[in-house]
Amino acid sequence: MDFLFDYIAHNTYWTILLIIHGLLAVALLGALTHQAMSVLVPVRQAAGSAGFVTRFRAVPAPGYAAAVCVLWIATFIFGAWIYSEYRIYVRIPIEQAGFWKTQGSFEMKEHLATIGLGLLPIYWYLWKNSGNADYQSARKWVTVYLAGACWFIFLVGKVVNNVRGFGS
Amino acid sequence: MSTTAHTAPAATTAKSLASSGKFKTFAVVFGFSTAALYVACDMMGWPLFSYHPATNRLEWFYAPPRKGEGPVMYWYGWTATSMLGAATLGVLATFLPEQLTRRIPLALVWIVPGPGDPTAVLFADAVLDALAQG
Repeated sequence: MDFLFDYIAHNTYWTILLIIHGLLAVALLGALTHQAMSVLVPVRQAAGSAGFVTRFRAVPAPGYAAAVCVLWIATFIFGAWIYSEYRIYVRIPIEQAGFWKTQGSFEMKEHLATIGLGLLPIYWYLWKNSGNADYQSARKWVTVYLAGACWFIFLVGKVVNNVRGFGS
Repeated sequence: MSTTAHTAPAATTAKSLASSGKFKTFAVVFGFSTAALYVACDMMGWPLFSYHPATNRLEWFYAPPRKGEGPVMYWYGWTATSMLGAATLGVLATFLPEQLTRRIPLALVWIVPGPGDPTAVLFADAVLDALAQG
């Protein structure tokens, strides 16, 4: 990778990776939120013209499963890639400033990202068999868990970036 | 030019995986085992390898920080240990008889990572505290 730094500044390189990581996370968050809403408050019948919230949860949820898996893996890889830079240039100043809650939240973020990764095969299987009523409860709670984890991971990433991220 | 519609190989593989009982067994066991093993790896200090980001040095298993070489990272190692361990358990589970694997509760895939992991951490903390106090 060192040859890249002949053409691009060190900060720019890591900033590009961070932005890609963030954009992938936004796409993942959107997909999982749609899916979680569709299982938590499913649309039962069309009564009159559908409003924004109804349309938001009336998505064809099974079609999101493969995309969610690909996005989680891609976001995870980019996150793991920039993590080594975070460990030196972000976490050490966070520790020096005594932002222990921020640092602890980031540790939860890394735990949830790995645990979520492990859930992807069963999540995919449950959605590929979305017609099977026996899987309804597991499908619902695995999806809600992943969506909740994704929201937590995303918001902690945002807070850490605010503490010491882009351009610092 | 042929106009015959072909099913893409990837789609065929996905369809057969989605209808495979063995894949379901693997995925269920892999799902809850990753969550359980990851917490165990973190609490017990079982990384498959340790990474020193400042010097790009990799060491097998747990390695303490080296003087003058900055911090050590264990997360990559915990992830590797838990993924490999869970994959091994998942593959082994596929060799079990079907009447046995059918009894594995599907709810474990959200109970273990959801309420299970924090409860286990609190319990382990309490036990370790009690042991430390004699």
